[in-house]
This record gives sequence, C-alpha cells and structure tokens, in this order.
Amino acid sequence: METLHPRIRLLWIARGALAAVVLGVVLVAVNQLQFSVPLPAIGGVVVLGLVIGVGYALRRYQIWQFELQDDALYLERGVVTFIETAVPFVRVQHVDTQFGPIERALGLSSVVVYTAGSRNADVRIPGLTPDRARALQNTLRELAVESEADDAV
Amino acid sequence: MPSETNRLHPLSAVTLALQRGLTGLSMPFFAVMILSTVFDGVDIDWLFMLSPIGFVVGVGYGIAYYYRFTYAITSRTFDVTSGVLSRRSREIPYRRIQNVDVSQGVLYRIFGLAVVSLETAGGGETEATLNFVSEAEAERLRAEIRRQTARVDGASSDERAAPAAGVDETTRHDRSRSDRGPTLLFELEPTELLVYALTSFRWGAAVFPIALVIFLTSADSGSGLVPAFVLEIARPIGGPASLDSATVSSLLILVAVTSLQWAVATYVASAIYTVANYYGFRLGRAGDDFVYERGLIQRYSGSIPVDKVQSVSITENPLQRLVGYAGLWVETAGYGPESSGGSQSAVPLAETDRSYRFAENLTGVETPRFQRPPTLARRRYLVRYSLIAAVVVAVAFGLAQVTGLERWYLAAAVFVAVPIAAHLKYVNLGYHVGDDHLVIRSGFWNRRTIVIPYYRIQTVSTRRSIFQRRLGLASLAVDTASSRTFSWGTPTVPDLELETARELHGSGRERLQSAVRERARSDETGLSVDFT
Repeated sequence: METLHPRIRLLWIARGALAAVVLGVVLVAVNQLQFSVPLPAIGGVVVLGLVIGVGYALRRYQIWQFELQDDALYLERGVVTFIETAVPFVRVQHVDTQFGPIERALGLSSVVVYTAGSRNADVRIPGLTPDRARALQNTLRELAVESEADDAV
Repeated sequence: MPSETNRLHPLSAVTLALQRGLTGLSMPFFAVMILSTVFDGVDIDWLFMLSPIGFVVGVGYGIAYYYRFTYAITSRTFDVTSGVLSRRSREIPYRRIQNVDVSQGVLYRIFGLAVVSLETAGGGETEATLNFVSEAEAERLRAEIRRQTARVDGASSDERAAPAAGVDETTRHDRSRSDRGPTLLFELEPTELLVYALTSFRWGAAVFPIALVIFLTSADSGSGLVPAFVLEIARPIGGPASLDSATVSSLLILVAVTSLQWAVATYVASAIYTVANYYGFRLGRAGDDFVYERGLIQRYSGSIPVDKVQSVSITENPLQRLVGYAGLWVETAGYGPESSGGSQSAVPLAETDRSYRFAENLTGVETPRFQRPPTLARRRYLVRYSLIAAVVVAVAFGLAQVTGLERWYLAAAVFVAVPIAAHLKYVNLGYHVGDDHLVIRSGFWNRRTIVIPYYRIQTVSTRRSIFQRRLGLASLAVDTASSRTFSWGTPTVPDLELETARELHGSGRERLQSAVRERARSDETGLSVDFT
C-alpha cells in the first residue's frame, strides 16, 4: 500500500484552520447583530474547531492509502465513513493530473480517475509529487488500454 | 458509403422564423421599456421602429438557421451541422448512440411531424435533437440508424472473431429479417393502465393544483393570498371565517382541510398524467433494439439497443404490492425524455409474477433467493429512527415554548412508529449473489429490486461509517454507468457483516474480470431480446 506525500497534511490542516476561522467570524458577526455571545465562548469554539480540524487532517492522512492491484486500482480512505474502493482498469475512461494553486505551492498534485459511473463519484488521489502523479497517470493509462474490453456503455 | 445531406421539415422553417421573429420583436420592447425609465432620451415611440426591425432580423435568423441546419447518415457516423454565426458540426459514431427517441405533441400529430433525439452516454444533455422532421422521416431515420449500428457492430465482431464467421452470418440474417417490423413483447392492457394510474404517485403533480388555483383566481381580483373557496370549504367543520380573526385551532383545521384537498387534487392530477403518458404503451423488439411507444396526447416512441442496457429494476410501492402488481424499468447510460435519466419503462405495470419473469428472461438471471443483512441492521434502524423521533419531540417542545402549544408531549406518540418503521425497512432489504448478476432489493415506500450484471460494474466500494464500525457492519456500493443513479443513488447493499461485504466486494471484482474475458471470446451481449 502506498501512502500520500506527508506535505498534504499541511494543505488539509490549513483547510481545517480556515473553516475554524470562518466559524469564528460568523460567531463574532452573530454577537454584533443578534445575540451577545461571550468572547471566551467564541474563543473556545474556534480553538475546539482548530483541534478537531487538525486531528481530522492528521487522521485522514494516516488512513489514506492506495495500491495498484492485478485488476484494479484500490483505495482506502475516510475518517467518519471508511471507504474501500476498487476501480477495475477495464472501466477507466481517462486519467487526469490536476493541481490547484495551493497544491502547486506545496509541490503536490492529484490524479483523477474517471469511469463511466456516476460522475460525482470520480476517484481522486490527492497529495502526490508531480513526478509520482505523472508516473501513476501513465501506468493507469497503459493498464486501461491493455485491459480494454468491449465498451461498457 | 456516400450519403445525402438532409434538412429539417420545411414547416420547421416557418416555425423557426416565427419563433425567432417573436423574440426579435420582444427584445426591443423590453430594452426600450427598461431604458426609458432610466434615460430621458429614450422614447417609447422608438418601439414602432425597432420592433419591426427586430422581427425582420429574427425571421431572417430563423430562416438562416433552417438552411444552415443539416444532418446526414454516413457509413460510420450520424452528422449534424448547425449554427448561423458560430458553426458546430457534430459526428456521432453509431456505436455510441444509446437510444433514439421520437416525441410528438398534439399539433405535431395533426400535421404528421415528430421530434427526434439521439442520446449518447457523454455530457448532461441530449446529443442531437431534430426539431422537427416528418413522421415518415423519423421512422426512416430510426430504421436507418438501427441498420447502420447493426452493420458496424457486425463488422467489428467479424474482425474480432473470424473463426465464428458462420455464427455472425446467421445473426446478421436474423437482423435483416427482423427489420421488417417489431415483434410485440408487451402491451399495456386498459386494466393495467388503470391500476397503474391509481397506484402510482407522482409528487411532481403537486404543483398542478397550485397552478390551477393561481390561474383561476387571477380572474376574480382581490381574493387575497388565500382563495375564498379554501376558507369556505373548511368553515362548516370549524375553519376560520377569515384569516384575520382566526384562532390557532381553527387555523389548524384550515391547514388540515386544505392539505387534504391538495393531496386529493394531486392524486387525481397524477392519475391523469399517468394515463396521458402511458396510454397505449407497447414494447416490441426490432433487431437488436427494444422499441416502445406510448402516450395519449403527446406521443413518445423510441428504441433502446439491447446491449446498451446497464441494469434492470423492478419497482413496486406498498399499494402495488397489495394488489400484486409491479413495474419493470431498463436503465441505459443515456438521457431519456422527461429527463428521466436514461431510464425507460419496459413494463409500466403488470402482475408481479409477470414482471419478475420478464426481468429474468431479459437478463438471464436465475430466480433470486434473497438473503437479508444480519438482524443487527434492524437494531441500527431502530436507533436511527428513535433519534429522528426524539428530534420531532424536541421540535414540538420548542414550539410549545414559543407559541404556548399545550400537550406537546403527545408528540411522543411518534415513538410508536419507530419499531414498525425499523422492521419494515429491514424486511424489505435483500440481496442475491447470482452466477452472472447481483440482485439488490431495498425500500418500503418505493421498493426497488435492481438486477446488475457483473459485467456492468464500474466501481465497487465498501463503506463503513463510525456507527457501522462499532457494530462490525459495512455497506457495499456497486456503481454502474446507468444515469439513473443520479436520482436513485448508487445501488447499495446496506449493513452487511464486514466479512460478507468483503467477500462480495472481491467476488464482484472477480466476476467482472471473468465476464470481460468471456465476452472478449464470444462477443455475446449477455442479454436476450426474447423475454416473453
């Protein structure tokens, strides 16, 4: 099983922290406009949000792993709901590598695998080094072509 | 094969011209209206000059659109070229066409016209729409596309399985023979239509009464937000005389009476809709396609290639189970009319045995012997529904604090429903691991039994929420390319023992691989068109 690049934790922690800060701003706004919320309470909520966000990000990194098996790409992920997914190579339609501005700044990129299944369930492997992502993309493409069968759709 | 270039029906030039002309006429109208309120220089009189110009430009655009819209049947693709200012030419390979649908509204039927749409698996919308051609042309297109698809398929299977050329010869022979006309597989009897209309509930029909009330009350002015008849009907049994002087209890009666009326009107509207849409339903087989037609006022017809069928479902709601009827749907990856997402009714409603027999013959699945998830699952639902009931009671309590509602604790009566609901959910669950298919059943209100050939599996996932992990349970989600999964969700066997889920996960993957290998050898479609 392959794990993600450790730097992805920074991205996830930053996201969690951002959510906690947004929550804090909302609470401050509520305090100004509607009910008075005591300042220690706001601080407590934000700190709690931060702790949960960081914990969630770390746990998520611990759990996330993937593997190229004989017939399928296999992934394990999910903190609240743990999901094990198998994407058979025969079913791979195309493979993308993507990276957002923050991912790029961290020197990371993602591989997105598309199948003909429900379009919202497309499989995304985050936190790969650009080299690894490109290598994975090529491997997947070769495996998909190799195992190409009659069309599923 | 060289091919001719076709245009739409000449009448469509007229309607296109009129449509665009009206758009052209109204655009200056709105523009001048808005601008004249903002700028002093803009004068309403400009309308008399601008609108006719807009109309002429619109008509010209419509006619140009007609002349620039061409389609052609070539040996490999169906080509559509369109657009006046920005040109778009689209080539759709026959192998990619999911289904061909033809619909005819009332006026279309009077003038012998039809709208043809081609669906493919890609994108979120219909790939090509011919609006509109003559009935005869629609029929010709459908037959021609079917013929070309069969030819392309036949050629490609020749390449792959050269030694089996003799077999191919006979199948092609079958195809040409069946081109003469479809064989009838199922016809909806009037009694079945009636049962279907009375037992199916379309929640979308709920807007119909509202629309009717808005339409009718707009005539007599000043009736206010609530139409007068709503108040009048509720008055004899304790409704308020007017909204201003209403007590809480009389308002509650008014709400109850009105919702009852609304429900009845919705039920009637939904029954009428069902009759209008499924009147004269016939399903037949022509070559390698299913062909269907239905509709009383608006007529729908179309074809579904058999080897594009992703999965087959049987649906039955409690009322239908009570009278022993069930419906059968086939799902493709295309997008059907009414945005039903590539799901077509193959048998709107027939006696349950017959529907199941149809499904078995159609997919070749053996009669399923359903297994149930462990009873732990029921305990889970018991807890889940108890939590929902607790929320209901909490809301009632909250309301009591705000409005002075008395006896809020009576809301605790919902707890009585909790064990019943949990049990009903549990007993309607089932799965069957067949030789070539996975059969999944779930749901009480809309019980759906879905037959998924292993060959159609896209991805397999085992999911465990934190609650499931505590109990050692897992859900198995099997994704197919059926676009119905948007509205129905991914087919899932919920709350299996982890062991079983893992086993199923593995065997699903294995059987997909062996099915793929088998098909590469034999080029079988895996579905039989003879299912009567």
